[in-house]
Amino acid sequence: MTFDAASQKADVDKAVVEDAGLLALLRREWAALWQDPWQLALISYIPLLGVLCLWWLFSAGLPRQLPVAIVDQDNSQLSRMLGRQLKANPVTEPQSFSSLPAAVEAMQQAKVYALVVFPKDLKHDLLRGQKPTIDVRYNSQFLLVGKLLSSQIQLSLADGLKQVAGIKQLASGTPKSQVEVNLTPVKSQATALFNRNNNYIGFLVPPVLVALWQLLAMLVMANSLNRELQFTSVNSIDSLTSHFIPKVLAKMLLFTPLFMLQGGFILTWLYHYLALPQAGNLTYLLLAQAFMLMAVWSLVLLVFVLMRDSARVISFCTALFAPAFAFMGVTFPTHEMPQLAQWWRLIMPSSHYMESHVGVVSYGESASSLASQLIGYWPFFCLIPLSLLLARRLFSQGAQPLNEPKNATEKAY
Amino acid sequence: MANLTAQHQASFPNSSPKSAPQSAALSLWQLVLLELSAIVRDKAIAVTLFGGVLFYSILYPLPYQHQVPTEQQLIVVDLDHSSLSRRLIRHADASAKIEVIGQVGSISEAQTFIETGKAHGLLVIPEGFRRDLMLGKGVTLSYGGDASYFLIYSAVAEGLVSAGLDAGKQVQMIGMLTQGKAAKQAQMSVNSIALNSVPAFNPSLGYTPYVVPGLFLLILHQTLLIGTGILGAGQWRQRGYWLDVSPLQLVCGRMLAFLLIYIVFTSFYIGYCYHWYQVSVQASFGLVALWLLPFLLATAAAGVAMSSLFVRRDLPTQVLLLLSMPILFVSGFVWPIALIPEPLVLASQWIPAVPAIMGMLELNQMGASWGSVLPKWLQLWALFGLFLGLAVLGVKRRAAAYVKALEQHS
Repeated sequence: MTFDAASQKADVDKAVVEDAGLLALLRREWAALWQDPWQLALISYIPLLGVLCLWWLFSAGLPRQLPVAIVDQDNSQLSRMLGRQLKANPVTEPQSFSSLPAAVEAMQQAKVYALVVFPKDLKHDLLRGQKPTIDVRYNSQFLLVGKLLSSQIQLSLADGLKQVAGIKQLASGTPKSQVEVNLTPVKSQATALFNRNNNYIGFLVPPVLVALWQLLAMLVMANSLNRELQFTSVNSIDSLTSHFIPKVLAKMLLFTPLFMLQGGFILTWLYHYLALPQAGNLTYLLLAQAFMLMAVWSLVLLVFVLMRDSARVISFCTALFAPAFAFMGVTFPTHEMPQLAQWWRLIMPSSHYMESHVGVVSYGESASSLASQLIGYWPFFCLIPLSLLLARRLFSQGAQPLNEPKNATEKAY
Repeated sequence: MANLTAQHQASFPNSSPKSAPQSAALSLWQLVLLELSAIVRDKAIAVTLFGGVLFYSILYPLPYQHQVPTEQQLIVVDLDHSSLSRRLIRHADASAKIEVIGQVGSISEAQTFIETGKAHGLLVIPEGFRRDLMLGKGVTLSYGGDASYFLIYSAVAEGLVSAGLDAGKQVQMIGMLTQGKAAKQAQMSVNSIALNSVPAFNPSLGYTPYVVPGLFLLILHQTLLIGTGILGAGQWRQRGYWLDVSPLQLVCGRMLAFLLIYIVFTSFYIGYCYHWYQVSVQASFGLVALWLLPFLLATAAAGVAMSSLFVRRDLPTQVLLLLSMPILFVSGFVWPIALIPEPLVLASQWIPAVPAIMGMLELNQMGASWGSVLPKWLQLWALFGLFLGLAVLGVKRRAAAYVKALEQHS
């Protein structure tokens, strides 16, 4: 766009603003959205691609057939039987290594995630009543995989060893019915509550998508507000100050339904198409999403009013929202975070939303407890009048010199 | 450890440009100075680079400061009320992973505790627990953990499995002793083979040593791309020093300027922050520096190449922000590469951060040999070559476009 076109566009824009009916302003926002390919991308194909790509990344859902190195120094019937036990476990995929150094190297290169060593004389020692040791090393640099493998390998091996002990007891004359009880008098039955098969899609993908959605919402609102800066120094009068409140209102009115569509798409994709388990009413979540969007809008508005420079608004909002995923408390429990992190967490609209999301999806939360969560957004809503008040003061103070030199250069495109 | 200082000295061989011809060296260094002042004077870049790098080094690891989830609140439904069930509860409470916060009369009551977030797990001790055990019948303990939160569930499960196993062994021992077996023999047949399961590489099982190494390289990667992106995007449509030098010179000067800044940032992250967050360090200083050199070069070149695609200063940050999460997850330390669809893995190999993160983890966290990470190191050099070419091409196109626009205007 040339300099002239920009000022022409600004004139048209000014006329619309002077007209200032909400409907006219809405139309103005719609036209602006339609003219900006990047904004259009942010509300159309980028969310679609992002949601599908992130889901595809985690689509395996359950860690299966993770490579595990086996070094069998005993090579007996017993060690082979234990190896078969590991093969039978769907999580582990044993790979034989002839030497320990080769297995260690494979582990260091992340080609295998765990290492099991059956020592020489395993069977011999067992028969002679000595207590041999089976060494298991799991890669805890990959915490998620490491923890899983540690427990699965132990379960598989313990199962195999129990069979051995059972045969021993049978041989010593214990009745068959009693052997099982002798071996494991206390059985335990574990239930993964609310995510029954411990599927990672159910646990990891919703917060990842919510984090992405929040970033998109932040960017779209920041860009839309930044667009107002384009016209500030082209016109002799500062059009940023005129009708600022209705303009902001028009933006919110336009973008809230657009983003609710995206949020609705995420919910439909996860809980209808992929049919992840869901206990509560999903329409409650749409309400929670609307509240979250309002909170995002109010934060971006505050940053915009304070910064009033397009690149800086984006930088600051990025710094604010980029780490939101870590603070949601899904990968790492909230109550284990230090106090400072728990405070920072409260600033992020997404952490408030995730509480409602888990509440509704997992616990089938009732409308009343959802309502009490939604009331928690009040500090965000106080920011809106505060920002508008601030805008009135700051804009009128710095109306003329307001980042004039910078904008003059940015105007060129 | 002893050879660290020696390697320290060896890794920076004469960095002064004395040997180069005087005039050429002067113009290159003048260019670097111009670049540096452009970076520092541009508030958006300065905030992203200096502010962002410092801010993220604190903010990202902040939630994980307490490392391992411990003492998850557990609610108990004791339907047996026997000496043995009380003993089991004490056992569970003694586990570092679990804190018993109370007992309720029914499972549905326990569920409400979990749904309101007061407890994260429940244990049900069935009626007749002690009697059945003493009669030699098997009993089943039920327990559950809130699997909406992965680490909570695994902590509850680990704590309860070990408490349950302990209780089982105790009962077995008592049973065998009453049958008249010798204590030692009884002990023997309870555990005939020992399983020694030990974590390798991150012995504390801490969350920061798990997240920080990969995450910090990604932050360096993203901020470097954003910095070069904003600088380029702001310049292409204006007359400036960038037109006074050849595209190759500009790209080299720009990379050198950012490299000078990023050597400081990288030393801060890999040096001080690793130490602060107790990340284990296995490779020597020299090897780590050698590893990071093509990473920074390839990233800087990719940044300049990418910057030639933008003329709006606020766009590079937005694009890279949206790419951050996918790059983080595809780099293979959060979610195993073995489970990521092959096309995504192949596509990600063109991003410098992906081979750099995995190689760094292998080299520095898991102690792999230089030989085994060499292919990834060469891959980084190849990416550097590729992006250098693209960067020169991109700057050339921008310069030609500017000249053309100027001619049209006049």
